[in-house]
Amino acid sequence: MTAARRPRAPGWATRTFVRGIAGWVTLLTYLFMLAPIVVLVVFAFNSGKSTVVWQGFSVEWFGKVWSNRHIARALNVSLIVALASAALSTLIGALAAVAITRRRFPGRDLLGAALAAPLVLPEIVLAVALLVFMTFAGVTLGYATLILGHVIVSIPFATLIVRAAASSLDPRLESAAADLGANEWQTFRMVTLPQLAPALFTAFLLSATLSFDNLVMSTFTSGVGTTTLPLRIYSMLKLGITPEINALGAMMVVANVAILFLVMGRYLPLMLKTNRR
Amino acid sequence: MGRLLRQRIEIGVLLAPSVLLLALFVLAPLCVVAAYSFALRDPYGAVLPGFTLDNYRELFQSVYLWVFVNSFKLAALTTILCLAVGYPVAWFIAFRAGPWAPALLMLLLIPFWINFLIRISAWVVLLGRGGLINQGLVATGLLDAPIGLLGTTGATLVGMVYAFLPLTVFPIYAALQPIDRRLIEAGADLGATPAQTFLGVTLPLSLPGVLAAALFVFVPSMGVFAIPVLLGGGKEIILGNLIVQLFLEFRNMPLGSAVSVLLLALSGVGILLYMRALRRVEAMK
Repeated sequence: MTAARRPRAPGWATRTFVRGIAGWVTLLTYLFMLAPIVVLVVFAFNSGKSTVVWQGFSVEWFGKVWSNRHIARALNVSLIVALASAALSTLIGALAAVAITRRRFPGRDLLGAALAAPLVLPEIVLAVALLVFMTFAGVTLGYATLILGHVIVSIPFATLIVRAAASSLDPRLESAAADLGANEWQTFRMVTLPQLAPALFTAFLLSATLSFDNLVMSTFTSGVGTTTLPLRIYSMLKLGITPEINALGAMMVVANVAILFLVMGRYLPLMLKTNRR
Repeated sequence: MGRLLRQRIEIGVLLAPSVLLLALFVLAPLCVVAAYSFALRDPYGAVLPGFTLDNYRELFQSVYLWVFVNSFKLAALTTILCLAVGYPVAWFIAFRAGPWAPALLMLLLIPFWINFLIRISAWVVLLGRGGLINQGLVATGLLDAPIGLLGTTGATLVGMVYAFLPLTVFPIYAALQPIDRRLIEAGADLGATPAQTFLGVTLPLSLPGVLAAALFVFVPSMGVFAIPVLLGGGKEIILGNLIVQLFLEFRNMPLGSAVSVLLLALSGVGILLYMRALRRVEAMK
């Protein structure tokens, strides 16, 4: 008889239960992860001094942030350090990545591991070490120490990104260029570099963002007059939350998300494709 | 000869910056910290050359011992909570989300990408006495009056999980995603219950991801200092706060260096345990 209901597979109840649980946990997790950010952005447009009670729409706090000298100064420092450290990190990381993937030399694996090491070592220890070392060497803390510290934080990411791109290059293109009479520099400039350009761009943006958001390394390596934006926000937060921080936060959320899409924009179509199997 | 020399020079140019950076500004500073941890200190805070174990001896006094216990407890709790929440989420994205998986991963990247302090400040607002969570609890009648949620260990823990959860989901997802779905179907076809299939097939195959996630959460969470200050009210001191205090407030470099060396050693133990566990898991396959 086909009218009789097919017996359900054993374990049907547990399966549904588990699936349901995972679904609910996922839903709640996303609420937990995203709701605070939404609330923060919404309350940045609150008029009045309260950060928790809605008193009407206003953009006055954005104006206040804009005209706050301390914030402007800190933003300036952060931008200089982010751009300089990202440029250095990308350059140093790219050179090492090309050497590791395309050349043979003793200690290649060791260098690869050492360049990734700052990723698994506690950042605070690296920061303290740099502070102690600079004090020991008699160097005054300032832009140089900040930039150096941020390069150490971002170099693993820059190297890994360029390594991934360099290892997927087709070596035949380079030998073809050589066969066609290009010298090594021409080959590099006209064949290798254009293929690496997107990875270099990603490495630069990621390094700049890591630097711009960095708190731990900056805490120990910034000097008088080189207070970065996160350091400024941290001291503002310790004094108590103000609508100004909300407005500043909302602006940083927008900037961060924009950069994320800029970076991920290239990978998203790829991700979609691999998932449609 | 010319060609060989040119290749040598080329490799030298490629490698010099990174080798110099690592040797001069990572390795050498760590060695100086290690040396300072055995150094003496005059009453004004200046470091004196010498060799003493007093700094380490001081760390094993009760006050500092508590800092270690607190840090370990907080890091362990954060790791367990992150894994408990992160695993089902990663499983759902890998096996049930279908075409939505990339979008879900992207949504999880957003909070991860947003400035850490801004994310924490959002929680300071939410958990405050007049904050939305207190308002909600009072409005639903669960509370008669707002309570102080900020400045508690619970608030610190919320902040820690909030900060580290994406770091748990990504590696577990990366381990779950490539699992051959036919293996799971085969388990079901052979009469295994979903629980048996999960425990016998899915979980062991995803263990490397779980281990990586645990490492990514446990090691950095011992060095955190902003979250316990901003959300926990600075009452509970963990290793990160202790290092900040010793270096920037008390100017006690030798003792601070000793704490840093211990933190580094603990992280090293964590990494070694991870590698050993990973090898055992790989050997199981």
